[in-house]
Amino acid sequence: MKHVIIIGGGIAGMQCACTLAEKGIATTIIEKDSDLGGKIRSWHVLFPTFTPADQVLSAVRHRLAKAESVTIKTGCEAVKITPKCVTLSTGEELTCDAVVIATGFTLFDARLKEEYGYGIYDNVVTSVDLEQMFNKGEVRLTSGLTPRRIAILHCVGSRDEKVCQRHCSKVCCVTGVKQAIELKKMFPAADVFNFYMDIRMFGPGYEEMYREAQLMHNVHFVRGRISEVSPTIDGRLQIKAEDTLTGRPLKMGIDMLVLLIGMRSNDMNPTLEAESGLKCQPSGFMQPKDSFLGNVESPIEGIFYAGAVTAPKNIGESINEGTAAALAAAEWINK
Amino acid sequence: MTFFAKFCIPFIIGTVFLFAVVLIKYLTWLRDLPKSDLKLIIRGIPTPRTLAAVWEVVCESLLHRRIFRVNPMLGYMHMSLAFGWFLLIAVGWIETVAYLGLRWVPLQGHVFFKYFVPLNGITEHKPLFDFAMDALLLFVLSGVGLAWFKRMRSRALGMKRTTKHILFDRIALSALWCIFPVRLLAESITAAIYGGGSFLTGGIGSGLASIMSVNTLTLLYEPIWWLYSIALGTFFVAMPFSRYMHIFTEIPLIFLRHYRLKPEDKEKSYDNFEVEACSRCGICIDPCQLQLQLGINDVQSVYFLRDRRYNMLQQKIANNCLMCGRCEQTCPVGINLNTLRLNSRTSMRNIPNEGRYNYLRGLDRSQGEGQVGYFAGCMTLLTPNTMTSMQRIFEAAHEKVWWADKEGGVCCGRPLRLTGETDSAQKMVDYNKALFAKHNITTLVTSCPICLRVLRDEYNLEGIEVLHHSEYILRLMRQGRLRVRYSSELSFTYHDPCELGRGSGIYDEPRAVIEAIGQLLEPEHNRKNAFCCGSSVANTAINDAQQLTIAQHVAAELDSTGAETVVTACPQCKKAIVRGSKRQVMDLSEIVAQNLR
Amino acid sequence: MINFGFSISKPRTIDIDRNNLHKSNEIMHEMPELQTCIGCGTCTATCTAGNLTEFNFRKVHTLVRRGEYQGAYVEMNKCMLCGKCRLLCPRGINTRGVVMLIKRKLGDF
Repeated sequence: MKHVIIIGGGIAGMQCACTLAEKGIATTIIEKDSDLGGKIRSWHVLFPTFTPADQVLSAVRHRLAKAESVTIKTGCEAVKITPKCVTLSTGEELTCDAVVIATGFTLFDARLKEEYGYGIYDNVVTSVDLEQMFNKGEVRLTSGLTPRRIAILHCVGSRDEKVCQRHCSKVCCVTGVKQAIELKKMFPAADVFNFYMDIRMFGPGYEEMYREAQLMHNVHFVRGRISEVSPTIDGRLQIKAEDTLTGRPLKMGIDMLVLLIGMRSNDMNPTLEAESGLKCQPSGFMQPKDSFLGNVESPIEGIFYAGAVTAPKNIGESINEGTAAALAAAEWINK
Repeated sequence: MTFFAKFCIPFIIGTVFLFAVVLIKYLTWLRDLPKSDLKLIIRGIPTPRTLAAVWEVVCESLLHRRIFRVNPMLGYMHMSLAFGWFLLIAVGWIETVAYLGLRWVPLQGHVFFKYFVPLNGITEHKPLFDFAMDALLLFVLSGVGLAWFKRMRSRALGMKRTTKHILFDRIALSALWCIFPVRLLAESITAAIYGGGSFLTGGIGSGLASIMSVNTLTLLYEPIWWLYSIALGTFFVAMPFSRYMHIFTEIPLIFLRHYRLKPEDKEKSYDNFEVEACSRCGICIDPCQLQLQLGINDVQSVYFLRDRRYNMLQQKIANNCLMCGRCEQTCPVGINLNTLRLNSRTSMRNIPNEGRYNYLRGLDRSQGEGQVGYFAGCMTLLTPNTMTSMQRIFEAAHEKVWWADKEGGVCCGRPLRLTGETDSAQKMVDYNKALFAKHNITTLVTSCPICLRVLRDEYNLEGIEVLHHSEYILRLMRQGRLRVRYSSELSFTYHDPCELGRGSGIYDEPRAVIEAIGQLLEPEHNRKNAFCCGSSVANTAINDAQQLTIAQHVAAELDSTGAETVVTACPQCKKAIVRGSKRQVMDLSEIVAQNLR
Repeated sequence: MINFGFSISKPRTIDIDRNNLHKSNEIMHEMPELQTCIGCGTCTATCTAGNLTEFNFRKVHTLVRRGEYQGAYVEMNKCMLCGKCRLLCPRGINTRGVVMLIKRKLGDF
């Protein structure tokens, strides 16, 4: 039986394993965490349909559970990758017929944008923190009170030369609008302000959701990037931005600041480049063989990519790439 | 004896020209000195400073002690040329006196003594003099040899880059390189014909005599002395317009410096002495990070001074400098490179504008009350970790604090000064001074070394002690008002901010604070040789990518110490290093606040 | 000049056809990164002068790029060159250099 090793047990890697299993190919998933699922485990509902993230993950998990010849190795990382062999951090060497890299991305560390006060002031949270609060079913200020005014800041760690992240993380805009709606649903009396440089609603249903946020939920959109955050005497936060559409500086007191943190290239990517001869893009994400005809292929035959390892992607795209990489790998093995 | 021959003419013209030009230059510069500077000179002359200056002239202009310290090979090269030549002249003069007694001999008589008196009458001393003169000539020639070698292979002498020269320099340089080999030849041929000379000229002379006929030698005799005279004459004519003007200019400069003259914000006549004292040795090129890490090699101090001297300075050259002070640190002449660049910028950009910054009038956004004032500085407002840490430190020490700019303040004025708009910057200085006075503080603490510089040097805050937070924290610790935990598990490395280290001489205080908390691992370039983070406000010419490249180099060196935390004491440096470092980067105040006991 | 108590209002349109873009092009040539400004307003938000006066760095340099030079020099003179904007600009624009450049091109020096 042919054997494919999948590095990374996030949603793309799991989908890839399912597809390969259904094609009668044995797979081994290498996952560095103790459990499969990856980042989606932290998400609450998915844009633009508000489908619970858990529902999507469970469906894939269910399919994977039924699949035959899937080995799962958790708590270990791949150190060196060739199309025929993967060396693990434990020193173990696994032989195979092809490899799919689905290692995903790393979240931007909001503490690097010191002026936004993450880790310094209370009630400055990231979009990921907020998703986890949604999952717990409770969004509270550290004082225990409910927020009355919330600011959501777009592009934290994306499109920012100062933190060496030039690329657009693509999903934050939509996430910001989605979270604004969720917050408004939770706290109808609260004011929610989105501070943005550009709003990029690139996918189906996204623009409609944006319109819904404005029309149905009275979410405010201010075109201007927050420059800095400071604490006020009464324990709130004060933000400064320029309201660029009026051309005047703007300041406001808020109870909570949500930072929409971007997707960075995976921290492991330089190791892949150094140890396995693969190539990183200037953004740090892995370089696929071709942007049109070889999206899920690496420059090395027999090594494939799936998901956010090559660029920021949403859940749907990552699942699609899991399937595409599985099909490409299967075709290559059987050639 | 008349001591004149036709071949002396080029030499005489050159010498007269040289002394005339140098004299005119110096007199004009001295005449144009501001009255205060003239007073300093007049007061300084009858003091021991004059003697100190004489001693320094011997050490520096002749022996080149400072270059020796930077680079022994280069030091030897300069010393052999300067001191060697000086001794040749001095011993030559003694020789003349020994032969002729104390009588006036025209200058060319001393210089071409061997021509006029190939075999002098002082037979008992002659071998001694011949030997001394030959030894000295060899000494000088070794320097010329090194100079040739340096031109061809600068790396061999420890210099990665040497200066690119202008036409006058090239003429003077070529002449200078010819002088001593030609002199050797002239004296050797003289010795070949007339005998005499010691191991060098005598040796070569007898060698020449054995392979050439007397006729050939006699035929060469006049032309070679002509050549020697022409080489000297050419060098002297080109000298006042070339880099070799430094040979003389360094002497009055040393005296003036001992009389406490120094360059200021605005250009003044004294600057001429510093500008023309630059020998364009190029030692300033190697330490420059713009060259080292960005490959920019036409803006360094040597080129800046050159362009300024010949009135061809462009803003893009003047503005492209981090003013980190690394070059000033190594300059063997001790030229105040930063101040000169600053006053050049001022000449180019300063516009007295009374209307500017009137909007500051009456503004006061300060908070709190206390004897101690805290001036965060604009940049620190963007590193709130430093602000909150300082707050915790003040609280721990039970210090009552007046916060000058927590809600946003007015710039200290240094960034504007650094770009040359000195007069306008004064408006901010005046504003802040009035603010400090209004709130009756006795101590002013700042977290920004850029502010510190101007607060200390330009504000003249009477009755207010200005401290950097590193000094303040250490003082609190020594007074027992602040107690920190020590853990040998914690390892730090420290980046010296330019304005704090080289700028304000504060190296030990931050280190003492760090060592009270954990282990300190020094990076390769530290203290006086520390690198600049690249984000210096003094440079308005390089772009973000270039700033980043420098920051990455600096961060890589800091990371390579293996320390888990990179510490610095400047918000600007912190913001820069964070971009390149893989470790956590913290301000000094943060590690203190985190380890309070 | 006689004060009539009113003045003929100038057209508000930025007329690119009539504006002389020569200086603007010179500025863009010396500082090509200025073209990368996406107008996020971070510079103006953090600007000390901009919070105390009408000065709006983003607006002034955008107008200059469109060939609207009037008043730009006077406006730029409100800037203290403190450098906060440069520290924050997400496009990495050398904002202090821009201020100096615009003053140099549109001022007396």
